[in-house]
Amino acid sequence: MTRPVEDVLRAAVHDLADGVRPAPDLAVRALGRGRRLRRRRRATAGVAALVAVVAVALPFVLLRPQLAAHPATPDPTATATPAPPVRPMPGPDWTAKPLALPGDWVVVAGTFTAAPGRGFVLDRARGRYLTAEGYDGVFPAPVGSLSAVTDEDRPREVGLVDLADGTTRWYEVGRALSPPEWSPDGRRLLFTTHRLDHFGFIVLETDGTKRAFRVDEKRYFCTDYCDFTWSRDGTEAVLPQTGRSSHDESLRDLRAGVRLFSADDGRPTRFVPVPGDPAGPWAWSPDGKLVVVQGQHDPLLVETGTGRVVRTLPTAEVVWISDDRLLYRRPNGAGDVVLADLTGRELVRQPLPKDLVDREITVAPR
Amino acid sequence: MAEVIDGEFTAFVNERGDALLRVAYALAGNQHAAEDLLQNALAKAYARWPRIRGDAEPYVKRILYHDQVSGWRRRARRAEVPVAELPERPAAGDGGHDADLRLLLRDALRALPPRQRAVLTLRYLEDLSVERTAAILGCRAGTVASQASRALAKLRELVPALDELTTRSEVKS
Repeated sequence: MTRPVEDVLRAAVHDLADGVRPAPDLAVRALGRGRRLRRRRRATAGVAALVAVVAVALPFVLLRPQLAAHPATPDPTATATPAPPVRPMPGPDWTAKPLALPGDWVVVAGTFTAAPGRGFVLDRARGRYLTAEGYDGVFPAPVGSLSAVTDEDRPREVGLVDLADGTTRWYEVGRALSPPEWSPDGRRLLFTTHRLDHFGFIVLETDGTKRAFRVDEKRYFCTDYCDFTWSRDGTEAVLPQTGRSSHDESLRDLRAGVRLFSADDGRPTRFVPVPGDPAGPWAWSPDGKLVVVQGQHDPLLVETGTGRVVRTLPTAEVVWISDDRLLYRRPNGAGDVVLADLTGRELVRQPLPKDLVDREITVAPR
Repeated sequence: MAEVIDGEFTAFVNERGDALLRVAYALAGNQHAAEDLLQNALAKAYARWPRIRGDAEPYVKRILYHDQVSGWRRRARRAEVPVAELPERPAAGDGGHDADLRLLLRDALRALPPRQRAVLTLRYLEDLSVERTAAILGCRAGTVASQASRALAKLRELVPALDELTTRSEVKS
């Protein structure tokens, strides 16, 4: 094609596009159609699950057992070779039993966090995984048989599904909620409410008892990522505090530290001068001396007493399984789970089944 | 969460909706079809918003093109978007101003099969390379070239003055 022809063609395509008229209420109409689409998808998922429920005679509507398609294979075991041993990849029947991780932890869920999609949840009583469908978020407790579920059609509520007996109870929590986070003992759920002029956190007991605590945003200033998380012992709620720096949209805001509040009465308890955000209760070492945070640029291992950065780490999404051992997913490749020491040296590596590679996994003590 | 998602989505559509509608119009060839194409793409984006919120515009564009192409596939050889009047066909040698030629071409573009119009939209409205165009349409670069060539042949048939422009440029060079 010659240059003048190309030029005139380009101009003509632009002329064609320029003929468009503004469409009034584009967002409103797209919202309406999007909601209908989501409801239809959810209804389809529900129907599919119901068929499976009849087949296996379980009282669940939206959580159903995942049938093993192949015979079981032997347990993956760690070897004692000096190089970081790689455990065998679990076979296609991995849902038939709890997926053990190094350090005696276990995968309790593989889901799309806070988003719809098919996921897997461990039914501890039966020792196998159930397929989770139909909810927008599924959050299994670290212990016991409860899973919290969220549904965007019930934005102010959370459901507690008891996998042991199949019952689901829905509780009104509040407005503009974050996804729930379980306390380490699996007895309470923590929510952040981002409601304008009512910012704060809400603690929900598994019996439905609820306490909401408003936090003064001006006094306890947080920007960027501002969801409360549990402290390691589950007695406090942790809120990152923005530090002094010029704001740059391309970077996370600098942190001065984290402020902790009592989960029982909402009062501020202490300030820890760490330069970043802990991912959750398991990001704190069992003895409380260290914490892994997401800093402005890198994941950091930090002393809680002084805020001194000990070193950078591959990821901030870690679990301390003892005072000197971390469990985390490799941030690259297939996201294998590794057990590492505090220098980042990998001790054992566990590949995940293909079904879990693209999902977010939730882990808990066995 | 739903309020947050609705707010983010609405802000995105308010900010980028007009630009996206422009692309949809170039693809669909008329206002009604363009709005329908875009509404559908935005609805899909909304349903998956928590996962695509940071990458919403490319996602919506991918759906726009995909729906356009898959619609073309479903309709098999049902081709052109009907136009009220065929573009006027000036006699060969009539020459004419480039602006007039553009107007004729604009109308002729509406008469192209959707896939050919999608190729021209990607290449000349979005200024993408042949390789990127192929990647978005899910075909080989050679297919993009052949579709562009067929589009040009069709446009020449509808607007003979385009041939004259080619000749003019060849004479000049």
